[in-house]
Amino acid sequence: MSEPLLSVRDLRVSYQVGRNFVHAVDGASFDIPRGSITGLVGESGCGKTTVARALTRVIAENAAITGGQILFDGKDLAKIPEKDMNALRWRDIAFIPQSAMNSLDPVYTVEYQLDEVLRRRGGLNRKQSRARSEELFEMVGIDANRLTDYPHQFSGGMRQRVAIALALALDPKLIIADEPVTALDVIVQRQILDQLKELQTRLGVSVILVTHDISVVAYICDRTVVMYAGKVAESGTMQAALTAPSHPYTMGLRNAFPDLQGAAAGILTPIEGAPPNLASPPAGCRFKPRCPFALDICGTEPPIVEVAPGHPVLCHRANESAALRIEAARTETWMAPA
Amino acid sequence: MKNFKAVGSRLLQLALVLWAVVTILFLMFRLMPGNPMAAYIDPTFTLEQQQQLMAQFGLDKPLWHQYLIYLGNLLQGELGQSFRYREPVGQRIWILLPNTLILTFSSLIVAYVFGILAGAYLAWRRGSWVEQAAIPLVLTTRAMPEFWLGMVMLAIFSFSLGWLPAGGTRAPGNEYSGFLDLYTSRDFLAHLALPAATLAIYSQGLPLLLMRSNMLDVMKEDFVTMARIKGLSTWTVMVRHAARNALLPVMTSFAIAVGYQLQGNVVVESVFSWPGLGRELVNAVAASDYPLAQGAFLMIALVVIFMNLLADLLYAFLDPRISHA
Repeated sequence: MSEPLLSVRDLRVSYQVGRNFVHAVDGASFDIPRGSITGLVGESGCGKTTVARALTRVIAENAAITGGQILFDGKDLAKIPEKDMNALRWRDIAFIPQSAMNSLDPVYTVEYQLDEVLRRRGGLNRKQSRARSEELFEMVGIDANRLTDYPHQFSGGMRQRVAIALALALDPKLIIADEPVTALDVIVQRQILDQLKELQTRLGVSVILVTHDISVVAYICDRTVVMYAGKVAESGTMQAALTAPSHPYTMGLRNAFPDLQGAAAGILTPIEGAPPNLASPPAGCRFKPRCPFALDICGTEPPIVEVAPGHPVLCHRANESAALRIEAARTETWMAPA
Repeated sequence: MKNFKAVGSRLLQLALVLWAVVTILFLMFRLMPGNPMAAYIDPTFTLEQQQQLMAQFGLDKPLWHQYLIYLGNLLQGELGQSFRYREPVGQRIWILLPNTLILTFSSLIVAYVFGILAGAYLAWRRGSWVEQAAIPLVLTTRAMPEFWLGMVMLAIFSFSLGWLPAGGTRAPGNEYSGFLDLYTSRDFLAHLALPAATLAIYSQGLPLLLMRSNMLDVMKEDFVTMARIKGLSTWTVMVRHAARNALLPVMTSFAIAVGYQLQGNVVVESVFSWPGLGRELVNAVAASDYPLAQGAFLMIALVVIFMNLLADLLYAFLDPRISHA
């Protein structure tokens, strides 16, 4: 296996809320191979967006990276000086935000915003920038004469395409897409995802797709990283996650979502309860209070078990996962949590 | 086509507002206690002479008739005859209006340029000691009454230090050949400094605080975060994205502030004996010179209405979401 493009090791990000520290990301480790789409999934507040933003080092004022490494192209992004970090922002790591409506500046034309990136960050001249803008619009399927329009003149789906064009502008190595289709309806979601996949394959860029929607991940991702309460519960290839989920949380997620095609996969079964408060997380396995398979041992810190090469799982019972999967497929298992 | 319609309906609105202002002014002066002629008529006049004068001014006619005459005159730009100066009100206002406008705009432009820059800077440096010290200071300037501030300025810079003249628009004995000659002279600018500074100090708080709070809001917007993720320089992020967006409501407030300022001028013009519309208005009311007071009120109302229109147009110009709707 070739060297991964990005390797996150034991990343920790904390928010200061009053006098307390909330450890939103508490020791996350995963790899992003070159030329792949990796889905970063988990429910609201699990730390997935915080991880995504930490990779750009543009995080909330009250947040700080408190530990771990972000190895990207031989550099540790958690440690390099701000000046060096700024030099590789957008040129190497671009970002597609959730709401393109709010992330495009309303007082400038789309062309101005592309031009700003192409000329200020990419060093192109006016003519080259214009040509590149037209090329980018063509790539995302928007007529070039709409370049001079303002963001509010585009529909939601179109704006998201503009955001993709912006992200592709400087041929980055990695694109982080934070819930890129969450605000769109299902039909448009599919169009955008298809486009993203097509461009990703054509350009060979790596994409991290942050989403709470496991059906989106199943639809276009090669790999997945499942986060729960600030930790990575399980990561591996999409194939492994779909056919052999080995963390009880992943098994539960599989039951709780329909797929994007809308094929009814039988009854949807929710995972009862709510994620823990990260200001005072439970001791041991953080999924224990909601896990139907929890044992006494789960009160202690779970180990990372490699159930298959490149498929680490954070669970005491990872080695029994084959048996647990059969149990987990039954709705009754999730009805009365232990 | 859509734009024409919008401008047309705006102009129609304007005409309605103007008519309302004119009517209220007309009624206001006729409902005020006392005989408007009291100041004009000498007590030694006979009743007959008095009635003759009343007829001369048209005051013997019924109210509705007076109103029609008044409207007719206004349409011809006729504002009547000042009781006190025995000269046309229009002429009097024409001399005073430039003084008032120069004082208003020079002080407001200084106040807004300073307020916008300082407000943006304080938002950027939120939480620093500079901000902690500056905000109470700004609030203090907002709380100081203009007349008091004016007197303090006079006491310091004119009476004790003797740097600047105390009042008027020119040194006694100086004569100038025309408007431009006067307004560009050192003499005039020295006279302008104190009243303009007083008004500027008093008015900078509004744009400053407005700019700061808008900027703080805009800095939380996704597009500002995105600008940072794009690796743009802090200057570009703050000026081109944050400040540019925060500026919109401040620019509108400028136009509206001109209206407010004209009220403020009444006080400051009196303190600095500045021969402007505000001071004349006070004098005219005190002297029951109703035609002049009415004309001055009307002029101030006209400027306010015009500035409001300008604010609307400016907003449409600055915010593409309105002009390209």
